[in-house]
Amino acid sequence: MLALSRSQKLPQAGEDTQILELLVQRDQELQELMEVGREQGRVQEEMLLLEKEVEKRDSDIQQLQKQLKEAEHILATAVYQAKEKLKSIDKAKKGSISSEELIKYAHRISASNAVCAPLNWLPGDPRRPYPTDMEMRSGLLGHMANLPTNGVNGHLPGDALAAGRLPDVLTPQYPWQSSDVSVGMLPPHHGNDFGLEPPGHNKENEDEVEAMSTDSSSSSSDSD
Amino acid sequence: MAVAQTKQEKESEDCSLLPLVHDIIKCIDKDSQDIHQELAKLRTKIQEAREQISNMPGIDTSPEEQQQQLASLRDQVRTKNQLLQKYKSLCMFEVPKAS
Repeated sequence: MLALSRSQKLPQAGEDTQILELLVQRDQELQELMEVGREQGRVQEEMLLLEKEVEKRDSDIQQLQKQLKEAEHILATAVYQAKEKLKSIDKAKKGSISSEELIKYAHRISASNAVCAPLNWLPGDPRRPYPTDMEMRSGLLGHMANLPTNGVNGHLPGDALAAGRLPDVLTPQYPWQSSDVSVGMLPPHHGNDFGLEPPGHNKENEDEVEAMSTDSSSSSSDSD
Repeated sequence: MAVAQTKQEKESEDCSLLPLVHDIIKCIDKDSQDIHQELAKLRTKIQEAREQISNMPGIDTSPEEQQQQLASLRDQVRTKNQLLQKYKSLCMFEVPKAS
């Protein structure tokens, strides 16, 4: 247009008009395209918002997935343990024992004071949760062997009594002892037999005692 | 609505090169010395328009493709909302009736 304006003194009207029309048309097209571009920009903003929404939903779904997985694990463990317990219950039911029998057996075990000391037990009490030497000797085996009773165990009062010694040994030395301790210490049915040995066996017993005493490995305590 | 329309018209006028072309033609007719300034203005205007276009977001795809993407995103959001709603309201534990 500039060239036309300078070079041509008599511009051709048709050409000028054509050029101007083209210019206006191009300008119009530019306006329209710019408007389309702006609209696309608005749509793009909306799409960005929607993408953020989608990301948020994705993270929510992942969180829910983790929680469901955890719950499934916990429940599976609980179900497994419950099944194991049911198996144990069935097994116990098959081999059930009456409570009366159990109580009877427990009573028998605890009657000999093997699981717990007697209530009046104090240090120094010769009673033990196992059969003591004295009790063994006063039993069937002891009578069969008819073993001497001199200083084999460490219970002095018991030894003295076993040897049929002085009654002053029986005087109460410990709080738990009473005056009739001779009866209380030993099984009643053997209490009187202990000091009575057949006269004929005395010498034999003494010989056996001497033989035993010469044994250097014997751990006897002194007897009175 | 009227404010939006006014803003739209202003933006259209900003993009238009016709006023500048008109000023140039006037300067030519008057044989004015300002013609170079007017030409510089036109060049600046065209340059600004180019920069503005390059900064416009979302014009890398056609309007139709953009609408498809928009519809797809809306669909995704709706589906995921439904899924979340379903899982939150789902009762997985059915207590068996005692027989």
